[in-house]
Amino acid sequence: MTKKDIFLNSTFTENSVWKQILGICSALAVTNLMINSLVMGLGVIFTLALSSFTISLLREYIPKRIRMMVQTLIIASYVIIVDLFLKAFLPEISKNLGPYVGLIITNCIIMGRAEAFSSKNPPVDSLIDGIGAGLGYTLVLIIISFVRELFGFGTIFGFTILGDWWTKWSIMVMAPSAFFMLAILIWIINSPKKEKVK
Amino acid sequence: MAKKRFIETRFYSIFFMVIITAFFISILSAFYLLTEKKVNTLKENTEKKLVLNSFDLPADDVQNFDKFIKIQNLQNRNYYIAERSGKLIGYCFPINGKGLWGSINALIAVTPDFQRIINLEIVDQNETPGLGGRITEDWFKDQFRKKVLLENGEIVEFQLVSEDENTNKAQINQITGATLSSRSVLKMIEEEYSEILKVLK
Repeated sequence: MTKKDIFLNSTFTENSVWKQILGICSALAVTNLMINSLVMGLGVIFTLALSSFTISLLREYIPKRIRMMVQTLIIASYVIIVDLFLKAFLPEISKNLGPYVGLIITNCIIMGRAEAFSSKNPPVDSLIDGIGAGLGYTLVLIIISFVRELFGFGTIFGFTILGDWWTKWSIMVMAPSAFFMLAILIWIINSPKKEKVK
Repeated sequence: MAKKRFIETRFYSIFFMVIITAFFISILSAFYLLTEKKVNTLKENTEKKLVLNSFDLPADDVQNFDKFIKIQNLQNRNYYIAERSGKLIGYCFPINGKGLWGSINALIAVTPDFQRIINLEIVDQNETPGLGGRITEDWFKDQFRKKVLLENGEIVEFQLVSEDENTNKAQINQITGATLSSRSVLKMIEEEYSEILKVLK
C-alpha cells in the first residue's frame, strides 16, 4: 500500500466511526456545537497520530504480554498533554468538553489503530494512518454537529445563520438527536456499498 | 541469542514498563509545570471576575478584586465582603444545589442588611446545553438583580412564570423547556440562603 492508500483507507474506506462503529460515545457527546467538535477532533488527531507513531517506533521492543499496558500509557500521556494544553490556552472550550478530553484515552479508535495497524507497521505509515483515522473521526463529528448546531441553535460556529423566525429544535441540542443523526449518517453512507457486496 | 532471551524474560517486561513509565511521567511532569502557573492564574481570575460581577463591580480589571474585596470564613464556607471607599457594599456567598444532571455552583451577593440580592452569578453547571444551560445567560441572571429576598424576616419564595410574561417583584421568568433547571436555581437560593442566615444568627 502506498502512503496515499493508507491515508484514504483509514479516513474513508475503513472509517472508524461509520465503518467500524468505534468511538461513537464521544461522537454523541460533544457534537452539540461545531467548535467543540472541531477542538475534540483536533485533540483526537493529535493523540492518534503521535501515539500510533510512538507505538510503532517501540513495536520491536514492547513485550507482547504487556503491550496493552504500554499502549494505554502512551495514549494517556498524549491525552493529558492535550488536556493541559486546552486548560491553559482554551479554558472556555476545555470547560465545555468537560470530561470528554480525558476520555479520549478510552476512545476505542486509538486502541483499535494501535492494535490493528501501528503495532505491525513502520512509524511513518502509522503516523499517516493515525492522522487519517483522526480526520475520519473529525469529519463525522463536524457533519453531525453542523446539523445539530444549525437546527438547535440556528448558528454555525457561533455565527447566527437562521434568524429569529426560526424555531429552535430543542431535541437537536439534547443527546437523543446525536443518536438519530449518527444512525442516519451511517445508513446513508453504508447503504449503496452493501448492494455492491451482494 | 543471549540478548533475545533477555527480551523474552519476565524481568524484561518489568524493566521495560518501569523505564517507559518513568520516561513518559517525566515528560508529563515537565509539561504540567510549564502550564501550571497559567492554568491557576486563569482559574483565579475567572473566580475573581465572577465575584466582582456578583457585586456589580467593574470586572474588566481583576485588580479591582484586591481593591474592594476581602475574603472571610464562616464555619466551612468562605464568603466575600466588598467595600468601596470605606462604604460597605455587601456580602457574597458561594452557594450550591442540585440541578437536573449535576450540581450547580453559584455566587449570590446581598446588601449589608441582607434584604436584597445585589446580583447572582452561576459559577458551574452541567445542565443541558441550550436548554437548562441557559441559566448562565444574562437575561435569566439579571432577573435576580435587586430583588427583595428577605421581607419581615422571611425568605421570599419566588414564583416561576413563563418566559414571555411580565413579572412582579416575586416572580421570575422561567426558561422554556427547562422548568426543572429554573426551579433548581430558585430552590438552591432559598435553601442555601436560609442556611446562611441560620449560621449568621
